[in-house]
Formats: sequence, C-alpha cells, structure tokens
Amino acid sequence: MMNELYNVSSSPHVRNRLTTGKAMYQVILSLMPATIFGIYRFGTGAFLVIAASVLSAVLTEYLFDRITKRPGTVGDGSAVVTGLLLALCLPAYEPLYVPCLGSIFAILFVKCFFGGLGHNFMNPALAGRCFLLISFSGVVADFSLDGMSSATPLEALASGQPVDVMDAFLGVGNGVIGCSILALCIGGIYLLAVRAITYEIPLATLVSFSVFLALFGGRGLDLEFIVLHLVSGGIVMGALFMATDPVTSPVTPKGQLIFGCLIGILSGIFRVYGSAPDSASYAIIIANMAVPLIDEISVPVPFGLRKPREGKRGIPKSAIILCVITLIAGAALSSVYEMTEEQIAVQKAEAKAASYREVCPDAAEFSYDEEINGAIEALEGEVYGTDFGKAYINEVAVGVDAGGVPVGYVISATSGDGFEGNVTLSVCILTDGTVNGIAFTELNETAGMGMLCAEEAFKGQFAGVNVERFTLNKAGDSTADNEIDSVSGASTSSGAVVNAVNAALDFFGKYIK
Amino acid sequence: MLRKTFQGGVHPADGKEFARNVPYRTYLPKGDLVFPLNQHIGKPARPVVQKGDLVLAGQLLAEADGFVSANIVSSCSGKVKALENRKTVAGLSVPCIVVENDSSYTLADGVGAETDAANLTGQEILDKIKAAGIIGLGGAGFPTHVKLAPKNPQEIEYVIANGAECEPYITCDDQLMRTKGSEIVEGLKIMLRLFPNAEGVILIEENKPEAIKAMEQACVGQERVRVQAVQTKYPQGGERSIISVVAGKHLKLGMLPADAGCVVDNVATVHAIYRAVCKSEPVMERGFTVSGDGVKSPCNLMVRIGTSFSEVLLEAGGIPEGVKAKKLLCGGPMMGIALASLDVPICKNNNALTVLCTDPVEEAQKAQTACLRCGRCNQVCPLGLTPQMMAVAAEKKNYERYEKKLYGLECIACGSCTYICPAKRPLMQLFKQAKAEIMAAKRK
Repeated sequence: MMNELYNVSSSPHVRNRLTTGKAMYQVILSLMPATIFGIYRFGTGAFLVIAASVLSAVLTEYLFDRITKRPGTVGDGSAVVTGLLLALCLPAYEPLYVPCLGSIFAILFVKCFFGGLGHNFMNPALAGRCFLLISFSGVVADFSLDGMSSATPLEALASGQPVDVMDAFLGVGNGVIGCSILALCIGGIYLLAVRAITYEIPLATLVSFSVFLALFGGRGLDLEFIVLHLVSGGIVMGALFMATDPVTSPVTPKGQLIFGCLIGILSGIFRVYGSAPDSASYAIIIANMAVPLIDEISVPVPFGLRKPREGKRGIPKSAIILCVITLIAGAALSSVYEMTEEQIAVQKAEAKAASYREVCPDAAEFSYDEEINGAIEALEGEVYGTDFGKAYINEVAVGVDAGGVPVGYVISATSGDGFEGNVTLSVCILTDGTVNGIAFTELNETAGMGMLCAEEAFKGQFAGVNVERFTLNKAGDSTADNEIDSVSGASTSSGAVVNAVNAALDFFGKYIK
Repeated sequence: MLRKTFQGGVHPADGKEFARNVPYRTYLPKGDLVFPLNQHIGKPARPVVQKGDLVLAGQLLAEADGFVSANIVSSCSGKVKALENRKTVAGLSVPCIVVENDSSYTLADGVGAETDAANLTGQEILDKIKAAGIIGLGGAGFPTHVKLAPKNPQEIEYVIANGAECEPYITCDDQLMRTKGSEIVEGLKIMLRLFPNAEGVILIEENKPEAIKAMEQACVGQERVRVQAVQTKYPQGGERSIISVVAGKHLKLGMLPADAGCVVDNVATVHAIYRAVCKSEPVMERGFTVSGDGVKSPCNLMVRIGTSFSEVLLEAGGIPEGVKAKKLLCGGPMMGIALASLDVPICKNNNALTVLCTDPVEEAQKAQTACLRCGRCNQVCPLGLTPQMMAVAAEKKNYERYEKKLYGLECIACGSCTYICPAKRPLMQLFKQAKAEIMAAKRK
C-alpha cells in the first residue's frame, strides 16, 4: 500500500459536473423551442437554412482545426450554437449559400482567427448576421412567404400600419426563423433557471430600451408602442441569447448592467433615429467592443473591503466615463448633421428642379398657381386621400411654354409606404390628363431591388398613359395600360410608387383639371 | 430573523454519508509519534526535551517561542527518540520531535485534575489554554490564547463556536457535537467569561439535524448561548462567511474577527478549551474522520496527535481489496492537501484523511478549455473577488494588477471558483502560485 504512487495536485480535488460542452448543450436546448416553432411555422425552408448554417459552422471549425493542426474543438458544441443562432436570425427562404457564407464568416473570421472559443471579441453569430445584412441585404431582409411579400412587424410599425402585438409575440407574423417571442422567452427562462445566464444583461437591455423609447420615441409613455417595439426587430433575441454570450459580455454583475444599458440605449437610438431595422444586432456588436473597457471599470471591491471614501460620495467613475463617451458621440453626430444639412437642402432643391425639367421637357419655365397652392395648403400636410396609403402632395409646379401657356403640371408626391421609408417623386401630368413621366427625388430603397424602381423599365410604364389610376401587378404579367408590373421582389417599393402617382392623379383630377 | 447564509458559495456533493453516523472510538497508536514543531501559525515551538529523555503523556515537549506560537505536548509516554527533520503533510521536511511510544500512556502529573472554572480569573483561563497548547483545531492552527486576548474584550459581541463543518466528507465535528454537546457549551461559557458583553453562538449547517438537536438541548437553561442553524453551503465554515451570517458585518482588509466584534473558534477548539480548563488536559488527542470511497470502513476516531496517517488508515480497514486509490487527502476534497505518502504525522489541526478512488482533477485536465468568461467564478466567490480576472493577471504574472486592482491576496483559497468552472481552469493553483511569488518578492 505504501509503495503506490498517488496523484498530487492543488486543491480543490472535486469539480462540478458542468463542462464547457454541457454549457453549450444548455444553450442549444434553450434554442429548441424557437427552432422547432420556426420549422413548424416556415416549413422545409427553415429546416434547410438551419441545417446549412449549423453544418457549415461545424465543418468550418473542423477544417480550421485540421489545417492549423490544433486540437479539435468541434466537440465543445460552440460551433453548433453559433450556426443555430445565426440561422434563427435569418429568413426561412433564401439561397442556401447565404447561411453557409454567414456561418463560415462567423466561425472563421470572427472566432477562429482570434484564437477560437473564449477569445473572440464579438459575438460570431451576430457578426455573421451583420456580414450578411451588408453583403446580401436584399436576400436577408426579404421575408416573403409563399411568394407573398408583406412587411415584418417592424416595417409595418415604421410605416404606421396597424400591427398585431399578439401575432408578433407568438411569431405567426412574418420575420426571421426564430421570430416567436414566446418560444424565445421559454428558452430564456430555461437559461435563467439553470443559471446559464444571469438576469442582469437581459433586464438592463430591455428596461433601458423601453425607457429610451418612452423618452425619445415620440409617443411618450405609450405602452402599446413600447410593447410593439419589444416584440419586434430581434431585441428579445438579442437580449436573451446574443448579448448574454459569456465570451463577449462583461464578467461582473455591475459590468453586465452597464453593458445591458448600453445595448438598450444604442438599440433605441438606432430604432428611433436610424433606418436599419436591425438595431439590436448593431447595438450588441458595438457594445461587444466596449466590453474590455466595461470590465476594467467594473472590477468589484471585494466583500468587506471598502476603499476609504474621500470627501463626499461622488458619482461612480464608470458612469462619468460612459456619459462622456455618449456625449462625445452625440455631439459628433449632431455637428456632422448640422454641417451637412444646408448642403443637403441646396442639393435637394437642385434635384427637384432637375426632376421637373426631366418629366416636363417641353416647359420653358415653371410657375406656381395660387389656387392650386391654396388647395395644397388646405391639406395641411395630412395624408392625402384614403385610397393611396400614406401619400402626401408636396407641391405643384405649372410648366409653361415660351408664350406662358401651361403645357403640363408637375406634381411632387411622397409615399411613406416604401421599404426603407419615404419615396418622393415628381409626376408630370399633361393638360389632358396624360402622364408624361415620373422622376424620383427621394428613393432610399434596397439596392438591387427597390432601387430598380428608378430604372426606365419600371418608371417608363407610367409615361404616355391616360388613366384615372394605376394598379400594381405583382405577378409582372400586365396587359392593360393601367397595370404596372412590380419590380421583382420589391412589391413594397413598387406599391409606394404607384400610390404616390395615383395620389397625384387624383389631386390633378380634383383640383387642376 | 436570523440570517441563513452568505453571498456566493457552492454546493459540492458532501460525501458525509460515509461516516456521519459512526460514533467515535479511541485509537491508541502502536508506532512512534512524531510532533512537528510548526503545527501552528506563527513561530515554531522551542524544544524543551533532549534525545533520550523519558516523557509522559501530557508532558511539555516544546514551548511557545514568542507571542504567536503554541506549546506542544507529548500524547504518549516513552522515550524521546530523535529531534530531526521529518516529512509532514505539506510534503516538506521540518524539525520534529520523535517519541518512541511505550504504549502505556502514563499520564504526567496534574493531567486530568478537575478544576471549577468559576473560580478562575480570566488570566488564569488564558494561561491554562496556553499551557495546553490549544490552536485552531478546525484547520487554521492560530494559537487560541492569542485569539482570545484581543485588545478590546468588552467590545466583543459574539463568541462563535463554528460547527458548520462545510468541507465534504468530514464528520468529526458533527459527531463531537452529537456526543459532547454539554462539554462544548461549557467550553463556550468559559470563553464568554473573557468577553462580558458577548453572546455565545453555536453555528451549525442544516445538514446536521442531530447535532443541531443535541446542541439545542445542551443550551436549554443556559444564558447567553444559542444555536444558529444555517444553510448548507460551502464555504459556510469560513471565518468571513460566519461573521457575515452571525453579526451581519463584513471583515475589511486587514481586519481580524475581533475588529468586527467577533471571536470564532471551531467546536473542537471550544471542546479542547473545556478539557484544558476544567480537566487540565492539554491537546493530546483530537477527533479525526477517515472517509472516502477508498476506505473499507469509514469512521470517526479519537486519535493521538503525532499518529501516522498510515496507522489511522489501517484502523479504518485500509483500502478495500481490488480498489485502486487514486488520491489521499489530508482534510476534505475542497481544501485538503493531497498526500504523496501516508508516512506523515497527524498534527493538531488535521481533521481527516479522505481516500478517493477517482480523481476529478485528472479528468478535469482532459476537459479543460479556454476561459468562457461565463463569470460563474465571480458569482460563487464568497469574498466577492473576480477569479476570472485574477486568473488572467496571474497567468501573465501581472502581480501588480493581481494585488492592487483585483485584491488577489484576499483570496482564502476555498476553491469554490475552481470547483464551479465549466472550462475546468486550474484557478486555485494559479492563485496559490501568485500569492507565493508575491509574498516571496515582499520578503526580499
């Protein structure tokens, strides 16, 4: 007995059962409700996207380990988590190379190149999603189901359409695969229950986001408005699963609270003032980069050890630092805005004049008719009519020839129903009611999709037609004059254009003709 | 409403079922007894015997040298065989007195003489405690007569007998409370004599209902003494944890428990005080648990100080045949010291031998991954430190940051962070190394 060799090591000599692999398994398990619901809701497409994303994530990590001769790390399950999270943030129907590319980018560039699990400085799944959003925005932001394109709750919200909170909560509306807030919450509660995550980050994120919306959302303490924002646009997904990724979040409770608040406020800023629907993704990615700083300022003073306070109790240093950062960023943004505002106004006026000449080339000059201006003023800037969505009539210029005889009326109309906000265009209607042509003065639609509205193939359809109103043909097989073929895959943008033109025609018929 | 627990902590499997219901039996060793001179914190004791001297059980072998030091008495009768360096639990060779046991255990004069503590002054009580060589028997080994003589005895609010016994596997304090409840209460009352304004509290974890019941019965009719049952959680028995639960106060940097109005002693120490003051018995024996899945019949023994670990293991039936013991621990699995050899003596502050057939550390090494920054270590640290950041600083040998920014030297080495870590990082090892290197640099 005495001659045997025994193991000698530093205490403690027992270890908890939880390993890295099991911790990842808990996260995978927590994502199952959302995954299963997504497949149930969107069918095979969702399944294929998930499978492609997970498989390419695992394969990428496996190959990287093999090629760089590192010990295999696929077994820890973190690649599966990344692939699954990424898939749940994507729409169900898209070319399968999209999730594959996203996963490869996430694993290879964000995780492996920085040293693998534990060393990545931003959430790989989110980085993958942002990469896809930038590179394949048309595909990734297209939530058409069964060929029918309709707005996601967030888009509907942005354009003022009614949104059903319950639909968004259950996830029966349109959206990404993991859009069911209910299913996500079930997973989140499970993670909290097994203490895989702590409450600090989700709570701070959601509360600060709500408070920001109440303060700056422009609707005051409108609970329905806030709840709508909470159930849409991935803020819950972000707060529960992305921001709580341990590797890229602060390690102390205090730091986690600061981190959560930062995400909530940034999401709020992007949601209220920005145009990207993916406010949470970008907010978390930015907050990820602030983690080392947050960690540094949130080292706790240990149990019982209190540093002597000098004089009065001041504001915590961390709060001051974060405030200063926020102020500097805000000041920089607003000064840039100030500087560019004037320039933009000049350019806008020039663009408007150019568009007038484009649609009404026969006019020698443009003048304004007081009677018509009066009719526009009577609208008081409200939405025009009831049949044209969110359409506005901005102004009407009368194109006159050298002799002062009116040849056509250029009506500037705006539709708020665009995919990315407003679509403003100038329509020239000849005295007999024939549309002479249209030109855009404001078009910020998705590149390669909604932006195609500005192509002659689309806008040329309006020219030379004399009808009371146009209708949009989403199938793109129109035969009649008054039918406008939708730009493929951009029926929202096309619809906005048709609405604006119809509003102008209606205004022409009522007040000018 | 009494507080139940402290912040942080973990719940390791307690393994108490092996020996918790085995009553004490006395084990008298057959071989030589070895008495290291540095069993306590502070200066090693100075030998007062020479090679060849005949000593009796209870006779002084080495006396306290300096303020923080403690006497060492012989626990058997026999001849002083050698004063030489021997290996001890920590694996180091230290000066020891070796006594050849004549197995008669003849007591020295005056040992066992009954005294009524009521007739003693405070100083006489302290002198008796010092003479008996009592140190913190729970593990720390701080000389008790020093601890019981703070600058401000009137300001002590709580005298706490620590019966938490939060370390897994160990059950000797549990059995002591179950069987010697009234003697522990007597010991506590002797301590209260020194602190006129204090309340005596016996703190026990809820996983020892029999001990709680026994101690509550022993407290019936006694003034200034009560039992406080606390949640079963490791490290509940740590001094800071206890003070935060009982007094609601947090020990600050560099503070002693007395500065927070508390005196904390293990129940075994309190019992030793009773025996020293009322029976004139110095520390010759102590309760000792032999447990673990690598022991044939786990038990609680009353063993003589200086007994070899190997003798004690044989008394517990040894390692069962066909079983391969992987790890031998002095103490329990959370804070115990892994033994390379059993041929080392039991010191006053050693309370258990745990034999494990599996070595989770070995398995953990295979499962080790990079730190996930999950922060579980920060959550369980009973001191509110940030082990995650400390480990990074220690790995980079950034000791300035480790000490000044992260307060790394405050670590009590409870091992909770290492236990909980899903990435199986060897945190405790890093911290021990960092502390050793920082202290070495400071001594220069």
